[in-house]
Amino acid sequence: MTSPTSSEAQYALCAENVSLGYGDRIILENINFCVEHGQIVTILGGSGCGKTTFMKGLVGLLKPTQGRFELYGKDISALSAEGWLDWVSKRVGVLFQSGALIGSLTLAENVALPIREFSNTPKEMLDEIVRLKLAMVRLEGYGSYYPAELSGGMKKRAGLARALALDPNILFCDEPTGGLDPVISAEIDDLLLELNYLLGITMIVITHDLPTIMAISDWSIMIDGDARGIIASGAPRDIANSSDPRVYDFFHRQVSRGKA
Amino acid sequence: MERGLPFETGRSSEGELLVSFKVPLTFENAAEIWEGLNTLIARNDNSPLVLDLSGVTKVDSAGVALLRSLRRLCRRKGIGLRIESVQPTIQHFLDHFDRNAEVQVQPPPLREPLVARLDAYLVGQAKELKGFARFCSSVFVVAVRSVRRLRRFRWRETFYYLQLAGSDAMTILFLITFLLGVVMAFQAAIQLKQFGANIYVADLVSLALARELAPVFTAMLLAGRSGSFFAAEIGTMKVGEELDALAVMGFDPIEFITLPKVLALMIAAPLLTMWANFAGILGAIAVSGLSLDLTPYAFMHEVFTAITFGDIAGGLLKAEVFAILIALVGCFRGFETSMGADSVGRQTTAAVVSGLFLIIFADAILTVLYYLLGW
Repeated sequence: MTSPTSSEAQYALCAENVSLGYGDRIILENINFCVEHGQIVTILGGSGCGKTTFMKGLVGLLKPTQGRFELYGKDISALSAEGWLDWVSKRVGVLFQSGALIGSLTLAENVALPIREFSNTPKEMLDEIVRLKLAMVRLEGYGSYYPAELSGGMKKRAGLARALALDPNILFCDEPTGGLDPVISAEIDDLLLELNYLLGITMIVITHDLPTIMAISDWSIMIDGDARGIIASGAPRDIANSSDPRVYDFFHRQVSRGKA
Repeated sequence: MERGLPFETGRSSEGELLVSFKVPLTFENAAEIWEGLNTLIARNDNSPLVLDLSGVTKVDSAGVALLRSLRRLCRRKGIGLRIESVQPTIQHFLDHFDRNAEVQVQPPPLREPLVARLDAYLVGQAKELKGFARFCSSVFVVAVRSVRRLRRFRWRETFYYLQLAGSDAMTILFLITFLLGVVMAFQAAIQLKQFGANIYVADLVSLALARELAPVFTAMLLAGRSGSFFAAEIGTMKVGEELDALAVMGFDPIEFITLPKVLALMIAAPLLTMWANFAGILGAIAVSGLSLDLTPYAFMHEVFTAITFGDIAGGLLKAEVFAILIALVGCFRGFETSMGADSVGRQTTAAVVSGLFLIIFADAILTVLYYLLGW
């Protein structure tokens, strides 16, 4: 992999005036930001502030009620199903909170699933790619295991292998270190950094794990449930000492003064 | 040079086969290159292969897999392989994978012989049966114990399941058994009409319904609706660690979860069976009135002469037995769920299948028993 992206667009991903919600309930409104190629951007926020809703919007599981998302210069909110497959599915990998592996398939079959569906790779090479991907997330030798037989950390790593199956340009991770111990969390952080460095993958990581935020972010965006939008944006070291008490409390693990 | 291929071939002065790629080694091209190289190697006279990557600007996972598969193929055929003129960034990428992925190819697990698999299957079935018997006995023990502390019994849940398994099933049960009555009346009429014995349609339909068909059909509906529901509910609770939570808090999962369900079905089944009797006879009356010139009054008069209290009670007793079996097997399957969402589905299916089997099995035993007792 030499060039991180095939597109000439200036940004990997842009949100313009986006509002997201379920029915009449607006969760986030007027979101504006852009992600540069090859950056790792973390999206932060307390529990229940709409991080997962945000992620659903970014990957297209939830259509914005207003505004638009641009992926490599194309408005993906207006794409047809075929256009979606062509433009988004091949460029985007998603690591879901729990790994979201298909329970009835082995790890190897899970990783092979998108490759088999979206390319005409011959069997021998397909097996080789699956082995490579599993080795990449340090799960070599686990190809014949079923997801139910794995620990939480292994499931996440396997989910990562599947998300990376087709060499996406941009990877979305929903709480990649949630529910994992500090050592395994650090391992996943390292893995993400390595993939970013080596493959030039742009990453959008949703998390509220402070060590992860500090370790991997080029840029952080903090969203807040009450404000229904972005309340801070910048390099994590800069915004950690923000004068906004909501941001400061988050970074210093303090009980919110407003709620205490 | 071959036409249309994504690479060019030539010979070096040492007789090596030179292959230089013209396209990026990516998902888009890897399959085509692989096919092309395979034919090339098959036609080749075992001279060493040299891959020239100077024209390659991009390599992705498929490209890496291509090169590795190629290396393995050449090793297998005893052909030398050299890769040269790799751009530094690509070399870096390839090195990473080589460092990371020196994995041995594992042989697929051997399939056991048929006899061993049959043996394992039978042992598994026997174990399951033993588990079910143990489960039933522990439910019995817990039930006896909870009779002594009725105030603590979870009556609210019992009524919830009673509504779910009982009153919510009334519409569909009515429809099914009404049509069953219609079908039976028609089938009987075809035969009995030949002898002018129309009136005996009433005897046949009412006896068959009361003694056999109403309880069995009710039980089948319960197995499909409620047995599966119980298994899925408990299975989901197990996957979500709710059962563990209950156990840690000091609840007995059997008392907490199983007993209300069993009791609910025990109450619902006889009531539903009576409802099925009613609907079936209504269906038969409709047919008799329309096509056999039998008035509803004459029909019911004949029913009351044909049928005894014992016939109905026998049917209700059957329904009671079926209900207990369905609830138990549904709960048992739920508790048998292992981790993983597919397990819930599998156990739910198993709950219905085992439920149906147990219904028929118990029905056969009870029918023989009734016969021997002269009921």
